[in-house]
Amino acid sequence: MTCFLDIRGITKSFGKVAAVSDVSLEIARGEFMTFLGPSGSGKSTTLYMIAGFFDPSAGDIRLEGRSILREPSNRRNIGMVFQRYTLFPHLSVAENVAFPLRVRRRPAAEIARKVEQMLALVRLEGFADRMPAQLSGGQQQRVALARALAYDPPLLLMDEPLSALDKKLREEIQVEIRRIHRETGVTILYVTHDQEEALSLSDRVALFNHGRIEQVGKGRDLYEAPRTRFVAGFVGHSNFLDCTIAAHAGERADIVLPDGSRLPELPIDRQAPVGAAARLMIRPDRLRISSPAGADAPAGIDAVLSDATFIGETFHFALTTAWGGALNVRMPSHTLPPAGHGVGQRVRLSWAPGDARLFAE
Amino acid sequence: MLLDFSRLGPWRLVLVLIALLVGAYLLLPILLIVGLSFGSSRWLQFPPPGWTLRWYRELFDDPAWIASFLTSFRIAAVVTVLSVVIGLMASFGLTRGEFRGRELLRALFLTPMILPVVVLAVALYAFFLRLHLNGTFTGFVLAHLVVALPFSIIAISNALERFDRDIETAAIVCGASPLEAKLRVTLPGIRLGLMSAALFSFLASWDEVVIAIFMASPDLQTLPVRIFSTLRQDLSPVIAAVSTVLIALTAGLMALAALLRKDARS
Repeated sequence: MTCFLDIRGITKSFGKVAAVSDVSLEIARGEFMTFLGPSGSGKSTTLYMIAGFFDPSAGDIRLEGRSILREPSNRRNIGMVFQRYTLFPHLSVAENVAFPLRVRRRPAAEIARKVEQMLALVRLEGFADRMPAQLSGGQQQRVALARALAYDPPLLLMDEPLSALDKKLREEIQVEIRRIHRETGVTILYVTHDQEEALSLSDRVALFNHGRIEQVGKGRDLYEAPRTRFVAGFVGHSNFLDCTIAAHAGERADIVLPDGSRLPELPIDRQAPVGAAARLMIRPDRLRISSPAGADAPAGIDAVLSDATFIGETFHFALTTAWGGALNVRMPSHTLPPAGHGVGQRVRLSWAPGDARLFAE
Repeated sequence: MLLDFSRLGPWRLVLVLIALLVGAYLLLPILLIVGLSFGSSRWLQFPPPGWTLRWYRELFDDPAWIASFLTSFRIAAVVTVLSVVIGLMASFGLTRGEFRGRELLRALFLTPMILPVVVLAVALYAFFLRLHLNGTFTGFVLAHLVVALPFSIIAISNALERFDRDIETAAIVCGASPLEAKLRVTLPGIRLGLMSAALFSFLASWDEVVIAIFMASPDLQTLPVRIFSTLRQDLSPVIAAVSTVLIALTAGLMALAALLRKDARS
């Protein structure tokens, strides 16, 4: 059983710098996969190797079981939407969409039919005779999408196609992209540095860092079960506290916080000796605020409330621990008592088992 | 703006007057020569005692003038084509190539613009003497190509640098071969640069006189050379007529260029 797109151990070095090192990934037919990561993490370089702009220094890329590395870009039959506007400025919208079909010497009647069908798909039916300069940025990217899909490519690459658009328009086109993915069933590889975009669009996300994939999985997996500290920090908001390993048993460890308090049996990412430094990670929305001390107080961390901000549906709290560690808490506004919490108040922070994770340094 | 025209008050009149004077200073010699070409005086008397088309008739009846006209045109046409083609290839190398000494090469290509034309003319003359190219059509074309090429390279390089290379890449991903992408997407994308390269190359050759004097032979003379040599013998109103034709042609070309630019912008 071979998968649809098989990326096997590809590496790309520019001089002595490895932009991508040993990336392997299997993508199923019809999947929406996003390459997420900060700039310079190798996500775009990986996409460009699939598009054929760069040859990998090592490794192989197989599409439907056949290596595509020997094929030049123009023979790979892959669709692509670029970050910058790349419509051909001297051709009308319809001629832009027709371009890949004309290059393939398709009959005129088929081209006309396909152009009409594609413009309907991106909801730009009335724009066939406009020139690219007369279109807004969002419209231009939709035409680019129509052009990239006109020749029914099995694979569509999208390289940060929405990064030049404002937030509202971006969200609008994200909905369009999801709909088009559903309607056409095309396999999409999407590159972005925007984690919200990645989570909202894709079936799976591959998180890149320093030329390697840190973790691949559904957005929810990356958020709930980050495998590395980088993933925890990049996907969603996180609190990190310094701590020391006090005992280690299997995939769990006990830790000591700088004020000497001990927290037992927290899941840890990898083996670490007793006495080693580690980081305790808890999402701001998973922390609960309760009264300090007292016999009935849940296990957790004591902290002082240093700031409270109301931003509509949520309250943001900033807290400081006894040893100066900073923490953030987000709570739905409706769950708070009417009096809320006052700045300067001492509180106990607690969480459900499994919501706190350890990352060895 | 502090120095806005609408806020200048009475100073506006002064400004308009200065503008008119400068315009007149630039245009009067041209208008004078155009006027003289229609004047009936053989001695270029001004204002002309009467009006005539006689000098134009003489001009168009003289096979030598017509021959020079055609020679100039043929040379300029061939220079234009070669200059745009070579300029295009050089520009691709200079803007997209990644090699050592690229900037040095760019400077080298542009030296004919900075070098005094006389120096260039003497050097070409001495060099062509060995190759027996002086006084030949090929020699003329090669010599004028040296002068015209920098104009092409500047115009096309600028256009290529402004053209987003991702657009060409997009054409390739769409299935066009690299050559096809250049022909169908990149060249139309830089067509304004190509047109101004052609226009300036044509004019560089068309009104070039210094090198042409060195290259010319008795039976191969460009228009500027014949004007120059005729002037040394006598001051005929035919010269005024030739000049007027030249001015009309150049003005026509410039107007065409302006129209094309306006068309491309809309």
